[in-house]
Amino acid sequence: MSLRQKLLLLLSLTVAAVVVAVSWTVLVRIKRIFDQRDQQDTALVLSQFQREFQHHSAEVSAALERLAASEHVRTMAFEIVQSGDTAPYLTQAQALAPQAQLDFLEIVGPDGNVISSAQWPARFGYPEPAAAQTAQPAFLKREDLPDGSTALGLFAVRAVRGAEPAVNLVGGRRLDQTFLADLPVAPGMQVYLYADAGTATTSATLQPPATSPAFDPRHLVASNGEVLAAGKYQAIISTAIHSGRQTSAILYLTSRREDSVYATAIPLKNDTGAVLAVLTVVLSRAEMVAAQQHIRSISYSVATAGILLSIVMSLWIAARVSRPIEQLARAAGEVAAGNWQTEVPDTGRDELGVLARSFNHMTSELSSQRDRLLQTERVAAWRELARRLAHELKNPLFPLQLTVENLSRARQLPAEEFDEVFRESTHTLTMEIANLKTIIGRFSDFSKMPRPELEHIDARDVIERVRSLYAAGAQNGMRFEVDVAQEPMTLDADPELLHRALSNLVLNAQDAMPAGGVLTLSAKPAGDQVEIRVSDTGPGLTPEECERLFTPYYTTRQHGTGLGLAIVQSVIADHKGKIAVESRAGEGATFIITLPRAHP
Amino acid sequence: MLRRCVISFFLALLTVPGQARTRPHYGGTLRVEIEGDPWQQPNGIARRLLYQGLTRMDENGIAVPALALEWKADSDNRRWQFRLRPGVHFSDGTALTSVNVVASLNASCRETCPWGAVRAAGGAVVFTSDTPMPVLPALLASDPFLIALPNPDPSSDNRLLGTGPYEAAGFANNVLKLAANENCWQGRPFADAIEIRVHRAIRDQWLDLGVGRADIVEVPAEQLRQAQQDHLRVLTSAPVTLLALEAADTGALANPMLRGAISLAIDRGALSNVIYQKQAEVTASLLPAEITGYSFLFATDRDLNKAHQLRGGLTPAQLTLSSPASPTSQLAAQRIALNLREAGFNVQMATGTQRGDLNLRTFALDSGDPQSCLESLLRAAGQAAPVSDSPPAALYKAEHEFLDRKTLIPLLYLRRSYAASGRVRDLQLDPSGTPALADASLEDTP
Repeated sequence: MSLRQKLLLLLSLTVAAVVVAVSWTVLVRIKRIFDQRDQQDTALVLSQFQREFQHHSAEVSAALERLAASEHVRTMAFEIVQSGDTAPYLTQAQALAPQAQLDFLEIVGPDGNVISSAQWPARFGYPEPAAAQTAQPAFLKREDLPDGSTALGLFAVRAVRGAEPAVNLVGGRRLDQTFLADLPVAPGMQVYLYADAGTATTSATLQPPATSPAFDPRHLVASNGEVLAAGKYQAIISTAIHSGRQTSAILYLTSRREDSVYATAIPLKNDTGAVLAVLTVVLSRAEMVAAQQHIRSISYSVATAGILLSIVMSLWIAARVSRPIEQLARAAGEVAAGNWQTEVPDTGRDELGVLARSFNHMTSELSSQRDRLLQTERVAAWRELARRLAHELKNPLFPLQLTVENLSRARQLPAEEFDEVFRESTHTLTMEIANLKTIIGRFSDFSKMPRPELEHIDARDVIERVRSLYAAGAQNGMRFEVDVAQEPMTLDADPELLHRALSNLVLNAQDAMPAGGVLTLSAKPAGDQVEIRVSDTGPGLTPEECERLFTPYYTTRQHGTGLGLAIVQSVIADHKGKIAVESRAGEGATFIITLPRAHP
Repeated sequence: MLRRCVISFFLALLTVPGQARTRPHYGGTLRVEIEGDPWQQPNGIARRLLYQGLTRMDENGIAVPALALEWKADSDNRRWQFRLRPGVHFSDGTALTSVNVVASLNASCRETCPWGAVRAAGGAVVFTSDTPMPVLPALLASDPFLIALPNPDPSSDNRLLGTGPYEAAGFANNVLKLAANENCWQGRPFADAIEIRVHRAIRDQWLDLGVGRADIVEVPAEQLRQAQQDHLRVLTSAPVTLLALEAADTGALANPMLRGAISLAIDRGALSNVIYQKQAEVTASLLPAEITGYSFLFATDRDLNKAHQLRGGLTPAQLTLSSPASPTSQLAAQRIALNLREAGFNVQMATGTQRGDLNLRTFALDSGDPQSCLESLLRAAGQAAPVSDSPPAALYKAEHEFLDRKTLIPLLYLRRSYAASGRVRDLQLDPSGTPALADASLEDTP
């Protein structure tokens, strides 16, 4: 990945991360604000509910007070106490309840039994435990109804004035949709009442269920009728019933997020702490979800714009920052490729400018050092060449000198002897001169190393050619072994030069084993390379010899020119290959040639 | 002497209005208001004004001649011959014939009839049966066997013609108008017409009576005390209706022990004393003590513990209880449901006209003869087997065996009461508790 791409990615990620962080922070903040608002609204409804509860309590109490103080009821109570006959008043409660605007009314005799019941006329004669709570504040009570259902009501108990023993009135108003309709609710808010939370307490005649009844969605009512998706509220209502504590949760009424609500279930208890009903305040989250979606869409837009901006910025920054660096990188690459004259433009006084100047100084220094090194090496090479030439030429010159001196001295000898000496001397001179020509020819060949003419060849063919040339001539206990892979090993190579290089190595190996041994020529593919090995079992090489082995004119033999392995290395290098040697003293040596495989 | 004559003359003058007042006079319209249907069975208030039976029950509960002049039984009460009264005509002038009577009886009794066959035999109607029919004359006086003739005029509102003192004259605005049948064999009734306003609430009836818009209104048992306190002119019958609870012997109540538990769980005293304001008599028997003398042998006490024992821990599925539509009956049914819940039954009131597992209903006690009354009751309860023996022990046994099944649980005997305005004269209730309007007259026309 280029620096520009990295910069682009870095800037894009930075912008996106910033946008995400800001969006997340805003969303969280909004959620908190809405949550706080929901809690405040819920608390407001709860306090309003309590006020309405107290208001209704006062109304129920006042209605019962007025009823208990009325002349008609006092006369009735007096007659009941005096006569003990309650039958004539069977329907009194039904007549009085509408007058007092009460939904529930029972006239309870001194014995605590119902004389007349407006809500369940047939309950006469049955005890009413609530009658014992006379003169107490209003309380919640669940009332049994004739159809087997129950109704939640706000009740009060008042004794009829003047009657002794007391005749009590137990009256109340229903806590239902009408009551909910009186509660002021904010837009998006609903108040539901689940009025089937507990057991009935009015009648001692009916056995209450041992456990709370199962949640019935039909008993969850709203001020305007039925509740949509009432079953979704089961969990929080059941939790509120069983825990007796206020419970809140976010409920998803449908699969759409905007149809979710923040619901708070508030248990309504009687004086014994039993939960009789659950008031559920429901706040729509549609507004919050819409705001979140709006913010989210804005965030997406800002992020997109930011990323686009980051691209532009990265381009600009690249022009300012990455371009000099890229120039430096390119220049460094050229230097690495050998072009030490490369220079980068000096862009300014900033760090990149300093870097560019340093780079130019470095390449300048490198170039100078290379020139000096080349000069030094050239001098050294010339010296080595001179030494080698002197050495090589000295050997034949000494016999030549001796032969010429001997020939000069022989002029004083008789003619026959002189002729004999002359023939021997001329023969020697001819031999040595031929030797000199040979030496000079080798140097000439090295200097005239041809450029390889590449063609598609199989390494196996080259190896086979070398084997057929040298295997037959193996002698003095030498064994020639070949180990070549079966698969084709195609090379782009000059077969003559490669044959010459391998022949050189084979001849060296033979030279290294004058007393015989095993010469192994092997080849195998190695990835996208072909590896050719020439091994011998001779005395091997020292590490120092291994290091200098490919230096021109270096030889370990008495009469070698030191050019053989240099020629081999030159050939292999011309084929973009490598040559190495592995050897330990006394364990033979192995020359390893790796050449790139030809592309099909 | 002169002085004595003058005094006598003036005294004679004074007695003229008194004599005029005691003599019923013809004319006027009698206005009656009722809460229910005038044609309802049994004993709808209009039924016996239009229709008559071959026999009728007198004030002592004995069958006496009506459309039949005389009758005789042969073959050990297996064959009865009723000779028709001559000169009787339906309200359209059609003569009463034995063929008409047979057609009417066959139409009113298609199955489970007291007789095996009925046929016309000249001026007589002959009933035959494989089993004895000892109480046939009394049964023929009962409401189901009143004689009616299909009206040959299909456009008329009055689909069935009768031989009674009145004939239907129209129905409009909830008012059934009856006109005097000039050709009634018993003679013309006193009032020219009767207007029966139907489906009128009791409270409105009393208001109408108070302001002179009604002459005769109903007084439910639970308001009889109020009527007396209001100084209304109230006529109350003897017990004429049995209030009983029918229990299905199939389904959830197939177990007779459960039905027995229900019988023991009901508080008859509360029903009588409170709901019916002490105007009803508790009973566990079908027939009143007045006509049998053994009613006390059937225990009326509530025994909740024994009810629980009989139930034996069994809790049947939810039972439904149906009742007549009147508020008092509904209240009684609610009380029964409450009693039964206390005994461990889950009872809900049936809605609408749905018949429940338990059914609160009334039975007419339309005969003073215990044998015929019991047979009528058993027939009304769905038991067709005739009561063949008349000795009290046999009657008791038959009644006991029937009640032991607990498919019918007697609760109360009810009376019927009516209040009349001061201008209605000579109004009495017949043995079925229905006002004998044909015998009543008006002091003046409104």
